[in-house]
Amino acid sequence: MKDDSLKPPLAGVIYGEIVYWGLLISCVVVIVGSVLSFLGNSYVPVSYWLSTIWKGESVAEIWKGAVGALPNGHWYLDHLSKGDALTAFGISLGVFPVIPGLLLCGLTLLKEKEILYGLLAIGCGIIVIIGLLGLVPAT
Amino acid sequence: MEKKKLKRKSRFWSLVTSVPELSILILLIVGGYLVMGFASKVQGTEILSPTDIWLIIVGSFLISTAIAILAVIGGIGGGVIFTPIMLGFTSLDSLVIRATGLVVAMFSGLISTGPFMRSKLANIKVVIYCGFPITVGAILGSVAAIRLHNALGLVGDGIVRLSLGMLMIIIAYFLFTGGGKTEYPEPKHIDAFSAKMRLNGSYWEESLGKVVNYHLVRAVPGGIMFIFLGFIAGFFGLGGGAFLTGTLNLVMMAPVKVAAACSGVLLAISNATAIWTYITYGALIAVFAAPWMLGQVVGGILGAHLLISIRASFVRKVLIAILLISCIKLVLRGIEEIFGIDIPII
Repeated sequence: MKDDSLKPPLAGVIYGEIVYWGLLISCVVVIVGSVLSFLGNSYVPVSYWLSTIWKGESVAEIWKGAVGALPNGHWYLDHLSKGDALTAFGISLGVFPVIPGLLLCGLTLLKEKEILYGLLAIGCGIIVIIGLLGLVPAT
Repeated sequence: MEKKKLKRKSRFWSLVTSVPELSILILLIVGGYLVMGFASKVQGTEILSPTDIWLIIVGSFLISTAIAILAVIGGIGGGVIFTPIMLGFTSLDSLVIRATGLVVAMFSGLISTGPFMRSKLANIKVVIYCGFPITVGAILGSVAAIRLHNALGLVGDGIVRLSLGMLMIIIAYFLFTGGGKTEYPEPKHIDAFSAKMRLNGSYWEESLGKVVNYHLVRAVPGGIMFIFLGFIAGFFGLGGGAFLTGTLNLVMMAPVKVAAACSGVLLAISNATAIWTYITYGALIAVFAAPWMLGQVVGGILGAHLLISIRASFVRKVLIAILLISCIKLVLRGIEEIFGIDIPII
């Protein structure tokens, strides 16, 4: 017989549900973006992206041939009406829910007097935000 | 025979009714790919025709779905399958592969987070405790990957392939030894720090028909190992779910199903940290990565629901074989690129 002690903790459920539904919404955005790209509405043609990748060109060469230089930032935010940019936005949108998920999970744990775990969860969320903002320079 | 068919059919329908969003998503994806196939305005190039381009996208989606199912059931990230195969057997740029590898590694974990949390297989305290060090390691690993790639070029890629090949041997070993013997580990002694952190829990074990209680041990060495595991995930773009499962199961003594579920959630957190470095650098080419992402989402949901009701030993054997073949090719290509020689094998 399953008992009440098997009820999942609220903080875990909150994190899980935010990530799960956020990701499903992002999938719809990715599908729409992919379809738009194939219908010709693309910032850089789909055939260019896939051919250069297939040829084994480096990331720098691919971007140089496409727009002249590496994007170094969230380039897709300026071109959201284009299919490939919308696809990139969709993928980022799928990753993003981890941040509110961790922060809300942390707040829930704090509310439940789990101070250490609450702070650790918020700390994790802040580290992901540092990654999102590119605060640790890669070049 | 008839009974088996009926059982399979009822399991399929129960999945359709209990996870309607999966059915809707699959319908949307199929519809989208049909529109992309029939109304495509994509131009051909000297190396790819419009049909080739469509087949690459649809093929990537199907392979990604299969990888996700195998990976979730085996308790590893899909990146452990995708990244070594792509780095070993294709000439695609290593940063593009590693960025897409993070997508593959991450999204099956992300999508299985919900079901794992609801079923209580994933323990939120374990996830948070190990999540902090792993995110620190992941962000450092991703930055190191891009810096090494820019500084050493082809030789740097060779070093990545060679070291990843050797890493694969260790992952295969972890999978090989992580079987039945440690399915329900019973620690003889719970150290003071682990007891203070209350890294314990319980879950309903379907195959035994009873509640399994557990308490994790060795929280300090485990936490330190997670910094290193995060670095590996961010650097190689593969998630490292096998190492996470191994560390949780063999070092910290979590039951194998709990370890697999926590590792799925943890690799999603670590890769979600690392992937931003690749995205902002431009290494994630969305059009190429999208079908891999969608495949991981569909396969991740299917895998998470199957994991609750099946044993993982057969899947482990399949994964070990895949890893060993990939590792041989990676080591050979790594040596070729570092020393500029040609080894005429495979």
